[in-house]
Amino acid sequence: MEAVFEGFRLVAAPDVLIAIVLSAIYGLVVGSLPGLSATMATALLVPVTFWLSPIAAIATIITASAMAIFSGDIPGALLRIPGTPASAAYTDEAYACTRKGQPELALGAGLWFSAIGGIVGTLSLMLLAPALAEVALSFSTYEYFWLALLGLMCATLVARSSPIKAIASMLLGLLISCIGMENPAGTPRFTFGVANLLGGIEPIPALVGVFAVSEVMRAMASAEPPRLPYRKFGSILANQWQLTKKYQWPMWRGNFVGIVIGVLPGAGADMAAWVSYAMSKKFSKTPEKFGTGHPEGLVEAGASNNASLASGWVPSLLFGIPGDTITAIAIGVLYMKGLNPGPTLFTERAGSMYALYIIFILANLIMIPLGIVMIRLASRVLRAPRSAVMPVILLLCAVGSFATGNNLFAVLLVGAFGCLGYVMEKNGYPVAALVLGIVMGSMVEQSFITSLIKSDGDVLPFFERPVSSILAALTLGALLWPVAAWLWTRASPRRARAAG
Amino acid sequence: MQLSDRVTGGALVLLGAAAAWGGSRLPAVPGQDVGPAAFPMLIGFGLIACGVLIVLRVGRSFEVEEAPEENSGSIMARLGLRVLTPPALLLFYMLAVERLGFLLTAATMVFLGALALRASLRLAVPLAVVAPLLVHLAFYKLLRVPLPDGLLGAPW
Repeated sequence: MEAVFEGFRLVAAPDVLIAIVLSAIYGLVVGSLPGLSATMATALLVPVTFWLSPIAAIATIITASAMAIFSGDIPGALLRIPGTPASAAYTDEAYACTRKGQPELALGAGLWFSAIGGIVGTLSLMLLAPALAEVALSFSTYEYFWLALLGLMCATLVARSSPIKAIASMLLGLLISCIGMENPAGTPRFTFGVANLLGGIEPIPALVGVFAVSEVMRAMASAEPPRLPYRKFGSILANQWQLTKKYQWPMWRGNFVGIVIGVLPGAGADMAAWVSYAMSKKFSKTPEKFGTGHPEGLVEAGASNNASLASGWVPSLLFGIPGDTITAIAIGVLYMKGLNPGPTLFTERAGSMYALYIIFILANLIMIPLGIVMIRLASRVLRAPRSAVMPVILLLCAVGSFATGNNLFAVLLVGAFGCLGYVMEKNGYPVAALVLGIVMGSMVEQSFITSLIKSDGDVLPFFERPVSSILAALTLGALLWPVAAWLWTRASPRRARAAG
Repeated sequence: MQLSDRVTGGALVLLGAAAAWGGSRLPAVPGQDVGPAAFPMLIGFGLIACGVLIVLRVGRSFEVEEAPEENSGSIMARLGLRVLTPPALLLFYMLAVERLGFLLTAATMVFLGALALRASLRLAVPLAVVAPLLVHLAFYKLLRVPLPDGLLGAPW
């Protein structure tokens, strides 16, 4: 109980409250601008967190990411351009609502069910994390190795991309993480005599490069999105309570799926929204209405992506394994602020953990009033010309990456990763897998090499302990299924021919 | 920059081979079987395998076909160069900021960036004046990032 009070005391500090409000506004604005994703909003916040207290730093990340995931729905509903990839799954549905003259319904559902999903996700975090911490205390390097690898494999199972290309992206990330002397032997690797590479490649310049700079590059090549006509909205929350009662079951299913996908290391809000929207259509009594502005899918997927955001913190806090790209950034901030992830975090720093839960709940509660204001102002914010926003983003990329280590080399890295991200995205290689590879590389290598040294080069002990054998089976399954699926598709026409 | 799977897959095979070769030449830790070479070599072989599978177009069926880019010779060439503006501006920032100072470098960067996105001068000029000042105020004054003064210092 003392820890709970300590949590409230930490959150009630004025700097934390100011940080929550300011980052909420920032998250809402950035998330609503097409092309500027929640991950990018969070990555650009990192230099700011250097100068904040630990709790305020975490509060900015939690609040900004939750707001950005919701406000990505706004341009999706009004312009048919998703503000963040997590809204892409149901953009067509929301836009169909707007064309039917009910934009309030789509936007209100996005807001209301995002908040509910966020709160339910937080409750799952509060229940799951301490319970799993007990189990995690008995984990050895074998379990950590498989868990990290499983996280990487989950990141490659992202929808709409070739799994082989995703695995290649992940391996590329792991290879990049080899650069420098941060390895078990302390040998400089792949530095090519460049002194700046000795310390390795920091995740932040890589993240800013692949998510922000490559987006500015894409803007250079594409036409400006259409201007939003000025529009007056009716009551935003008017019908939401009825929707909640009518679609109670899909809502809970969305929350549940979001939580499960969030807890899986490596899979995040984008995947939660795609899976939930597809499930909603499959289990609906009226699947023919999907795509015509039917709120059922919006309810389920809108709850799902915000629920996954909170439960994504479970593997991050327990094992230091990111649940998605946003928590990949958050883990860096946690280390920087002395809140090193691990099962002992829940016993030694219980007050800070309660503060984290409280911030999550608070962020999802203030999302409703601030979100209504944002929806009403959306017509104005979305009129900001892209040719004014993008150059400023580019400047922030340069200054922000410089600020992470007061080193101009980081600016060069940001540019290089921007080019890499642009080329990869254009050719169907998912960049999220690359980023998770870079972030988790040293952990995978360390647990792998330590385990190999312990077992004297023998591979069998990797599969001997019960938990590690389950994790190994899951990982190998994720690794091999694309090959199996390929063989299946090759075999089936032949079988069809044989039958015909 | 849409390349065929053969090109990207082939590049991955080459990169994997280079990683495995570079890894194999790393010095071993005396008295131990596994050292700094194991991990890069494993990744290298993985990349080679992925590259070969991509060249063979395995897993292609999972991809969503992207709308082909409009091909019209001269415009494409211009667009291709335009895409490189952001990294070029970052390179410019890295090389010039110490000498010119933050304000001048940032103003040039924002101005050229806005023009590359087809902004009018009426938008680009005020943006190039105001944005660097605001960014400087936030990062130099509030976050205490040591931004160089160069030729033109900030008024604060």
